[in-house]
Amino acid sequence: MTIRADNRLLDGAPMQPLDCHQCGAEVEVRKASWHQTSVQWSSQALGACLERRAAHSGDGGGPDHGLFPGCTALRESIVRAALDGAIPVPEE
Amino acid sequence: MKGWVTVTAVEASTTGIRAIEAEAVPTRFARGWHCLGLSGQFKDGKPHTVNAFGQKLVVFQSGDGGLNVLDAYCRHMGADLSKGRIKGDELACPFHDWRWGGDGRCKKIPYARRVPLRARTAAWTTMEQDGLLFVWNDPEGNPPQPEVAIPRIEGATRDDWTDWVWQEIVVETNCREVMDNVVDMAHFFYVHYSFPTYFKNIFEGHVATQIMNGLSRPDARPPGKGPRMLGNSSVASYHGPSFMIDDLTYHYDDMDLKSVLINAHYPIDGNSFMLHSGIIVQHSDKLPREGAEAMAHKLGEFILKGFDQDVEIWKHKTRIDNPLLCEEDGPVYQLRRWYEQFYVDVADVRPEMVERFEFELDTTRPVEAWKQEVEANLARRAAAGRQA
Ligand code: FES
Ligand SMILES: [Fe+2]
Ligand SMILES: [Zn+2]
Repeated sequence: MTIRADNRLLDGAPMQPLDCHQCGAEVEVRKASWHQTSVQWSSQALGACLERRAAHSGDGGGPDHGLFPGCTALRESIVRAALDGAIPVPEE
Repeated sequence: MKGWVTVTAVEASTTGIRAIEAEAVPTRFARGWHCLGLSGQFKDGKPHTVNAFGQKLVVFQSGDGGLNVLDAYCRHMGADLSKGRIKGDELACPFHDWRWGGDGRCKKIPYARRVPLRARTAAWTTMEQDGLLFVWNDPEGNPPQPEVAIPRIEGATRDDWTDWVWQEIVVETNCREVMDNVVDMAHFFYVHYSFPTYFKNIFEGHVATQIMNGLSRPDARPPGKGPRMLGNSSVASYHGPSFMIDDLTYHYDDMDLKSVLINAHYPIDGNSFMLHSGIIVQHSDKLPREGAEAMAHKLGEFILKGFDQDVEIWKHKTRIDNPLLCEEDGPVYQLRRWYEQFYVDVADVRPEMVERFEFELDTTRPVEAWKQEVEANLARRAAAGRQA
């Protein structure tokens, strides 16, 4: 089976590079609306993320089985980038 | 009739009609652990037939208590071993009584002096955990890697949780359809009558996660007495291609109910799969033992109803490799990119199949609040510009 491209990335805005203000990890980001955010990590970026490293120094147990829900610093960086227009947000 | 297809394509492009594209279903089956259901059902002293991965398998318990899975067809003259009998540590064929061990080797032929060479059949790696039986499928024939082990489910072995309420149904379509549910936000509203207010997918390595907080829709709630279900919070992860553990809390007006839901399947063949759902519920002050048992059964029925709603769609839909998505849809393409890792050799797993991807929808902060902040930003910038 071939892996196909998301039609929204072909016809709409592409993923855009963004640095995390805390750890400098470079990820790709896209917002389809104020409510929606997509983030593509590379293994390099994941290795650089401080919160991720802190989360994985534990035993990874617990009810959610070591799930890393996401980096809060990166989340903030994305909010800032959206608010000052660096990451475009389509008008509703 | 040369050019027939071409003409259709030209017509399509001039009329702007979008074509549905679909390759044939894959000829191989996913690499990974697959759950065959509650392990207890296989411990009744009889061999069991399981149709999986395009083959017929036999599950039997040997004298040491372990559960074994073999190819069901006897290598002597092809009889069905799942119609045979367990004799001590071995499975005896119903045709000529050849005795097969859990390792796939023929141990004895009661009427022969010696077992011929190469008397060995396919044996599958099995694993029993938390009351469930798992079988490892790998088209390349490698043993399971420890990194893809199925995590333990704490409540499954604890006294303050109910036993499994387990259900199985055969679904007549390719199992990719059930995987799409991981990302299909909108169908939760239209098919399952719930209302997601927060939704997140995370794909990383061999794990695909769906985090969802939803409100019960008042228009879909049966009126009447009893506690009202307000909504639920769910963290659900597929650990590999077929086994999902969902930490699911139901919120009622007077209590929270903690449960673990299993959503699992194994392919029967390319065009059908066995869909499993299992649920356990934690006891609480409001819901001690019997109440929790009753609730687990009620929820089990509720979940089965949810499956029926999906099945009704799957039964009639077509396979589609090029879904036409709107911005409000979930990451279907990225999920399928993740899922593809289980259908290629380990050496052919590409970085984009396993690299972390996040998709988040958070409606808890109204758009108005966002807009006001942007306005404030712009005003601040304009003021700073005037000063400079
Ligand atoms: S076919 Fe199984 S013993 Fe002969
Ligand atoms: Fe569904
Ligand atoms: Zn970070």
